[in-house]
Amino acid sequence: MTETFTIQIDRAEGSLQRLIGLIERRGFHIDRMTLADTGAHREVRLAIRPRDNSRSCDVLGRQIDRLIGVRRIAPAPASNAFAEEASVCPA
Amino acid sequence: MTAASPLPKAAAAPATGARLLVETLEALGVEVVFGYPGGAIMPVYDALTAARFKHVLVRHEQAAAFAADAYARVTGKCGVCLATSGPGATNLVTGIANAMMDSVPMVAITGNVASPLMGTDAFQEIDILGVTLPIVKHSWIVRDPNDIPAILQEAFYTATSGRPGPVLIDLPKDVQVSAAAAPRDFNPPLEQTRRIDPAQLRRAESAIGAAERPLLYIGGGVRIANAVEDVRAFAEATGIPAVSTLQGLGVLGPDWPGHLGMLGMHGLRAANEAVQQSDLLIVLGARFDDRATGKLTEFAPHARIIHIDVDAAEIDKLRHAHVPITGDLKTVLAALKPRKPAIETWRAQCEAAIAAHAFDYNAPGDGVYAPALLNALSQAAGDAFVAACDVGQHQMWAAQHCRFASPSAHLTSGGLGAMGYGLPAGIGAKLARPDAHVVTISGDGSFAMNIQELATLRRYNIPLKIVLLDNSMLGLVRQWQELFFEQNYSEVDLSDNPDFASVATAFGIEAFRITKREDVEAGIARLLAAPGPCLAHVLINPMENVWPLVPPGKSNTEMMHGAAR
Repeated sequence: MTETFTIQIDRAEGSLQRLIGLIERRGFHIDRMTLADTGAHREVRLAIRPRDNSRSCDVLGRQIDRLIGVRRIAPAPASNAFAEEASVCPA
Repeated sequence: MTAASPLPKAAAAPATGARLLVETLEALGVEVVFGYPGGAIMPVYDALTAARFKHVLVRHEQAAAFAADAYARVTGKCGVCLATSGPGATNLVTGIANAMMDSVPMVAITGNVASPLMGTDAFQEIDILGVTLPIVKHSWIVRDPNDIPAILQEAFYTATSGRPGPVLIDLPKDVQVSAAAAPRDFNPPLEQTRRIDPAQLRRAESAIGAAERPLLYIGGGVRIANAVEDVRAFAEATGIPAVSTLQGLGVLGPDWPGHLGMLGMHGLRAANEAVQQSDLLIVLGARFDDRATGKLTEFAPHARIIHIDVDAAEIDKLRHAHVPITGDLKTVLAALKPRKPAIETWRAQCEAAIAAHAFDYNAPGDGVYAPALLNALSQAAGDAFVAACDVGQHQMWAAQHCRFASPSAHLTSGGLGAMGYGLPAGIGAKLARPDAHVVTISGDGSFAMNIQELATLRRYNIPLKIVLLDNSMLGLVRQWQELFFEQNYSEVDLSDNPDFASVATAFGIEAFRITKREDVEAGIARLLAAPGPCLAHVLINPMENVWPLVPPGKSNTEMMHGAAR
């Protein structure tokens, strides 16, 4: 079961490490990722997959949301989740 | 803490980053900083000599973080610790993790090598921001001295707001010595009063009113939310019995009618059985930690869950909440107006269980029985008692047998379980509450982990009292090896310990020994009456076990009991 999130984070030192580290530490694989600069923020799009059935994407979403540098997190629509050319971290 | 205080501004000659750091800490109302100098933080230490707050020089940076942690738990303010780069910074790590696991507000400040050297493997260079990412609420590297006030203000705001936690500020040496011509301030976000979902409140009221066997499950969040009186009022108004986690002890005292005591691995049988029978758990600032729940799938199998927590990420993390309520506990309890449930039979059943499973302080022989000593110690110290525990058997005995007037009277490394916490935590607590009977309760294994802090006690003549329960063993590991590893005792024998009373004396600390049960009462009196720091070295039975015990991975219904030895 893969879920895709779109996350706006501050352009602060360590913000990307913080986000990715949290996701892996909480028991999820990161299958795909894109990073875009939207001016004031960075927009990260991530496809994630839990390591086992005990992991909840909803809980992970709230754990991401409480990170200080995260401005917004939303599920991304499956249809336009990733633009192929923008993938920086292929599965 | 808010950023409302007057802020330092650059005078004719702009302040250096180091000076600005000290001035901002003063403006934020900091009263004490625990730290240890070194090369990359020297400009800050140079500026510290003029500081209006106290700096406590510890003898190991880990102790600075633990002392700051305990200071924060006792005062509710932010603890502050300071260290140099590299090993100074990595020595803070265990203390920062401890604060993270127990949601303690702390600002850790580290020096680092100058910016041009960062990333070059320079002498005493460590990426401490990277090292600590999993164990901080947030962190910053200061790149511009003008940002120092803003980052410090934001750090204090972040550490103390919402669910508290530690934050880290890494300060490269060149930033410390550079002039700050135009320092900037942090504008805290407008206080967002999280709207508590009224529909969930009504559902909670309905569930409480209809419950036949409701139970309060009280966690450390109650102290953090400053909601002790609110929970007491709620428990009294509804008459609902309660269990407490390790960190929830002291919210309802042991004499509170209907308080079944601590649940979990070393909890009371009455508490664990009540949870298993309950049809409604009202979870107040607790997080279903595995030491509390035992085998999660068999925990409270008949109970619906009302989970109240300020941290939305705790809801459904481990146990589904039928009624999730995210918000400040005081606010939630003020809005929650259930009708009093008709639970007389259940209450009577709980009260009978409390009486049936009360601890027995009789033990064979004439040696010191640690549970009885700890119970007597807390009774003698009364409401002024504050325990700073280490980790191991003595920690569990303290939780089981001491009486705590409030949860901030029980300082214990709950989440991380960090041996070595007790002595520096006692230092931080005694500085925070000089009027209290602050007692470090330690074991011989834990005590050796930060024994150097006896020098800090001596230097500042801090009248901390220490009860060192010495079984010449790593007692809890030995107990598990006895019970779960076929008595294959592996590396737990500490019978070559030094004579701890002599060690304390060598540090200039008064010390004496208690070896027999008949000497306990006089020993406690001597300890509590000592005008300065004092250590009671108590020899106990190496084969004594902590009972009851739920074997790891088992359901809380599978409690083991054993006799005192």
